[in-house]
Amino acid sequence: MMEQQTIWHRLLMIDRRILYLILFVNIIIFLLIPVKVPTVTSPPVRKFYDTIEQLQPGDIVMVSSNWSAGTIGENRPQLEAVIRHLMRKKVRFTVISFDPQARDISFRFISRVTQEGGYQYGKDWAHFGFLPALVAGIKGMVKDIPATIKQDIKGTPIAQLPVMQGVKTLADYKMVIDITPAGTVAAWIAYRPKDLIVLFCPTSVMAAEAYTFLDSGQVAGMLTGAIGAQEYEQLLQQEGLGTPFAKAISFSHALIILFIILGNIALFMSRRAQGG
Amino acid sequence: MEWWQNFLPLNYERVGVWASVICTFAIYSILYRENPFYRFFEHLFIGLGAGYSLGPVLTEALYRCWYLPLWKEGYWAWAPVVPFGLYLYFIYSERYGWMSRLVIGLLIGANAGLFFQEFASRQLPQLNSTLSKPLWITSENFDITDGQVLKWVPLVLNNWIFIIFLLAVLTYFTFSFEHRGPVKRVATVGRWFLMIGLGAMFGNTVMARMALLIGRIHYLLSNWLGIPVGGG
Amino acid sequence: MWQIEVGTTTGKVYVTLIVLAFLALFLGFIPVMQALPPRGRRALIALITFFAGLVFAAEFFLPVDKKGENWLSPAIDPAQNTLQIIGAMALALGTYGLIRLHLRNIVQQRSQWGYSVVLIVAFLTMGFFSVWKTLAEKGELRQTEFLQKGFTLLFDNMLVPLEATMFSLIAFYIFSAAYRAFRIRSIEASILMFTAMMVMIGIVSLGNIISYSWLGLPIEQTAEMEQNPFSLRNIGYNLALPRIAYWILQALNAPVQRAIEFGVGIAGLAMAIRLWLSLERGIT
Repeated sequence: MMEQQTIWHRLLMIDRRILYLILFVNIIIFLLIPVKVPTVTSPPVRKFYDTIEQLQPGDIVMVSSNWSAGTIGENRPQLEAVIRHLMRKKVRFTVISFDPQARDISFRFISRVTQEGGYQYGKDWAHFGFLPALVAGIKGMVKDIPATIKQDIKGTPIAQLPVMQGVKTLADYKMVIDITPAGTVAAWIAYRPKDLIVLFCPTSVMAAEAYTFLDSGQVAGMLTGAIGAQEYEQLLQQEGLGTPFAKAISFSHALIILFIILGNIALFMSRRAQGG
Repeated sequence: MEWWQNFLPLNYERVGVWASVICTFAIYSILYRENPFYRFFEHLFIGLGAGYSLGPVLTEALYRCWYLPLWKEGYWAWAPVVPFGLYLYFIYSERYGWMSRLVIGLLIGANAGLFFQEFASRQLPQLNSTLSKPLWITSENFDITDGQVLKWVPLVLNNWIFIIFLLAVLTYFTFSFEHRGPVKRVATVGRWFLMIGLGAMFGNTVMARMALLIGRIHYLLSNWLGIPVGGG
Repeated sequence: MWQIEVGTTTGKVYVTLIVLAFLALFLGFIPVMQALPPRGRRALIALITFFAGLVFAAEFFLPVDKKGENWLSPAIDPAQNTLQIIGAMALALGTYGLIRLHLRNIVQQRSQWGYSVVLIVAFLTMGFFSVWKTLAEKGELRQTEFLQKGFTLLFDNMLVPLEATMFSLIAFYIFSAAYRAFRIRSIEASILMFTAMMVMIGIVSLGNIISYSWLGLPIEQTAEMEQNPFSLRNIGYNLALPRIAYWILQALNAPVQRAIEFGVGIAGLAMAIRLWLSLERGIT
């Protein structure tokens, strides 16, 4: 009986560094092991994909990239998958950032991806740089984009960019895709032109709150973190970062659930042993 | 031999990768215990982050919004904006600190004025969506000309659940009067329903954090060690 | 009247003099405003707050023409530009406070001031490269290989991994906290835990493996299943873990989030009116 008490008590008192190591090793193993996992597309991802599929060549889309290095694990797979889909549909797109770091991060990653797809900067896509005030920036773009943004990230006046031909306000855009770890989508929903479709790529932390916008139709589709990126890559039939990440996430979740159950069992058994 | 040549920091790119890896392990060393190595890199991170912000925040934003209209286009009316904004930096002064509230007042006032539009565009469509949820299967609400009534039952059931959950949680959040009797029971149930929402948020939060860690480990395996990491 | 010809050196000199004049004016205002009694100061702040909000509020509420504009709409562009400038300066205020604190640590040689030296050196180095790079992108300064390599090393190879690693630490803490603290102690805790577990299993591939590979539940809903929702096959389809997780998120979580949205929205509206009219003490 004393020995049983010790085992359960030991489990409860386990050094947290051992827990950290177990998690670390679990992730390494399941990143390396080639496990085929079946994927089912969730309805928000399917809506996201179908909405972009409706675009026609030459349409223009706004990509609002507001994530920094802290959420690179979730937002980078989303960004790369979205850009690849937009290139496949041969649509023009412009990028804007309301976070300082997001400016350079998004520019670097999108430049790499667009080079693969043969997209030319200035002609097929452009980056508007960083604006500090989100709401004021959106309101300004609703009225007049060249007057609000003035120059792109390379210093070229907006009106002189070939990609902006025939585009003066946000009303000329077909949709805005907000890739963000923060609540910027609420501002896009609140201040956009009426017919501008909003697509949302949040980190998983923000996703639960966005289901109310999905229900009301204010957001047309959503990719939830790396899992959403994986499902989206499956629809695109392209392997990106989402697929290996999603695999490792699955088994890390299994580990956490196992340990939560183990923790509760250990507590129950140690109390029982003390009581008995 | 080739693997070693690609692994070691023998060119600029590999030096960069090794710098990333050292930074990564320095931060992870806190998991073992507090140490000067971690503190050094923590302060390095804060300094780099603060220094980086000077580019986009000060240079790009001020260049684009103030310098260009003023010095390149000649609209002199923009001249007072930055001197006025400098009042913000009096915030640390005991004597003149109140002047920073002139600028803060401007920001607060502007955002408060913008909120009316946000309320109208963000909350009212959600209210509309809630009130227009069909709660009965009628020919006005659904297309039942083909006689297939049963297929709409799950949707109607979900709508009832939606309304019940919404009202219960709203009752829980109503603090204007004391919860007594049936209202208290409804508020208690609303609290349970709130736990469902929080549980869903927690599940998603765990996924988010794991993804961030997996991203780092993926970098160590693929970019540093050169081990191919694929899907399946 | 509002524009000066800046193509010439004279024009640029005029603009520079105007900026300096306004700087002197605002500095000159300081003793004048300092002489104001506290009531006068509050009134001045309240006035600025009110007029700043009035532009946007009035533009929203005033009737619009067929183009969706009213007589205040042209004011939105300069108003939003002003907010961008002030917003940028407000963001830099945080940096100013941080540097001020660490410079003080160094000057006064407080405990662990060596780390403050590291911070200041990193700040100056990164600030130099960041500002140079931004101005070089605008064509104001020259792009060199030293700039590109220096910025890449500092940003891509140091700042990005440091920040990503900092945020990834939370994963370890969540795991440890979930093991040690997640206990079934009350109804609420049980509901929270059960929901979290269902969502955690259902939204990832693990739920697919359990439901479709092990239990063999139907993956897709056919038209027949849709028309007969109480059939065994359709019930099986809806009992799959991914379907349950999605139903929790869409049917149970969404109304909860909407209730929170309504509460936050109404409270936000009340707060916005109070702030706009400076009824809230201690803010402005």
